[in-house]
Amino acid sequence: MIHPLILVAVFIVCTVAGYFIIRQVPSLLHTPLMSGMNALSGVTLVGALSATGIALLSGDGIWAQVFGCVAIVLATINVFGGFGITHRMLRMFNKKKK
Amino acid sequence: MIQIVISIVLSLAVLAGISMMSKVKSSVAGNLLSACAMLCGVIATLCFSHVLSAWTIFVAMIIGALIGSLMASRAQMIQMPQLVALFNGLGGGASALVGVMTYMGWGMEAPEYPMFVRFTAMLAIAVGMITLVGSLVAAGKLHRILNQRPVVYAGHSLMTLLSIIGSVALIVLGTLYGQSWCVALCALIVTGLFGYLFAIRVGGADMPITISLLNSLSGVAGSIAGMAIGDLFLVAVGGIVGASGLLLTQIMCRAMNRSLMSILLGGAKKSSSKPQPQQTLKTEEGGKTVFAPEADFEKLLEQLNDMEVQQLLNAIEALTKEVSGLRAELAQQKGAAPAAKTEEKTPASVLRDAKDVIIVPGYGMALAQAQHTVKQLVDKLEYKGANVRFAIHPVAGRMPGHMNVLLAEADIPYEKLFEMEAINDDFQKADAVVVIGANDVLNPAARHAEGTPIYGMPVLNVDQAKEVIVCNFDLKPGYAGVENPIYTRETGVYLCLGDAKETLMKIINEI
Repeated sequence: MIHPLILVAVFIVCTVAGYFIIRQVPSLLHTPLMSGMNALSGVTLVGALSATGIALLSGDGIWAQVFGCVAIVLATINVFGGFGITHRMLRMFNKKKK
Repeated sequence: MIQIVISIVLSLAVLAGISMMSKVKSSVAGNLLSACAMLCGVIATLCFSHVLSAWTIFVAMIIGALIGSLMASRAQMIQMPQLVALFNGLGGGASALVGVMTYMGWGMEAPEYPMFVRFTAMLAIAVGMITLVGSLVAAGKLHRILNQRPVVYAGHSLMTLLSIIGSVALIVLGTLYGQSWCVALCALIVTGLFGYLFAIRVGGADMPITISLLNSLSGVAGSIAGMAIGDLFLVAVGGIVGASGLLLTQIMCRAMNRSLMSILLGGAKKSSSKPQPQQTLKTEEGGKTVFAPEADFEKLLEQLNDMEVQQLLNAIEALTKEVSGLRAELAQQKGAAPAAKTEEKTPASVLRDAKDVIIVPGYGMALAQAQHTVKQLVDKLEYKGANVRFAIHPVAGRMPGHMNVLLAEADIPYEKLFEMEAINDDFQKADAVVVIGANDVLNPAARHAEGTPIYGMPVLNVDQAKEVIVCNFDLKPGYAGVENPIYTRETGVYLCLGDAKETLMKIINEI
């Protein structure tokens, strides 16, 4: 397992990096940006997957499965829905260019 | 080791994808890049945690993917804010569940740092549940399932405080004692309660801020869940999302000249004493005379306790209905059409002669679904050789950039959309300004009316324009409850009240 301090450091670095990159996004694109970010927040899917998978393989019981699978379903809805909507929105902005 | 390298590469890809979203042209590719990075992250996780043989996760993933894609492709653009809120909440819920699993010690080897893992797991439960419940409430309000007005219960602040204390206590308890069903369940309930209490008292115009704050929280929840299970990629992406949401929140707070705290806590008190949030009372009209928000009146209201305010609100609602009924009668007697104020000039004639037109859209345009009609207006004006531009206030609509999306849906090129700073000086030069369903964002009272919620908020300088055509539903104060002096200006103001779609059609036909 990675040391907690490294994890916290990564969190801080990414927060700062994200802050500066996102500052350059014009308000015109704030809605797609927000919905894109929203899709990205479904990244918790990664955590749900590994936890549920390991729980199943190591036989952690039915409740672990229920929680894990619900988590996976929710996270995938978030990811697919979020990216889908963002894509639709951005295509509207670009309609004229095609 | 290779896991860490892959995490770093993928996180950089996500960052690159986001920075590509700062330009319209590269934004589609940027979104796809982020999505691909996410896909790779998922595949990498599946491989490295050796869980490829666990069949249930694939079933769950396929179910989620189907539901998500279906919702994304079926939804109408007008439903965008609530959909974003809903998805957001689901992500937060997933993080909370991951937190529960980690806390219960499911799905992981015995941790090297049990305290840290338990602490972050509890934190993930808390932040995730707040996001889930808060977002669901926000989505419900935006979808009009729930009351859009700020709802304040008796002893609301006390309950909020108690739920915060309870949450903190449970996090501490959970950090000290692991694997207790009781603690996990209590944490889910108490933090969820806090999420509900905090979201239910936010209303109307503060929604964009709440949504972007919740968006930020869902990222933070994911990131904390990542810390709990020790996944670098999750921590990194969650951090980026958290930062972006916070930045958007900050931008909008600044645009409204309100602090975040006042929106979350103090704001509710203020707004609950404003009887008429614009968007809730579509059928009611003409509350204007009843509530000139005199300072005394406000003070009086604030002194009353929450219950009495509610009763008062009901009474006021009944009154407004009566007034609107009378109004309708009056309008019929007059022969329909709440007409223009000046004698010879009509909105159509002003627009016919205008060479430089600025359009100011607001939430009313979204409500009336008038964006396509606006597009027709633009086409007609441009056909006559006029230069048409749009002035977009940072907090117009119900989420950041709401207007831009709606106008893009109506095929209005984004080159015509200008942010407030870029266009504010041009209002005095413009031949005509068309206001469509916007109120607070152009209320000149914000510059001098001290003590009102919008005081100090930067507004569009619509009042400096020579000719202003207002296509609003009615004249009652906007969400902030402050009278707009533009409506009572002597000259150069044309009021076209009613559904923006219809009034605009009328103008277009007359031009």
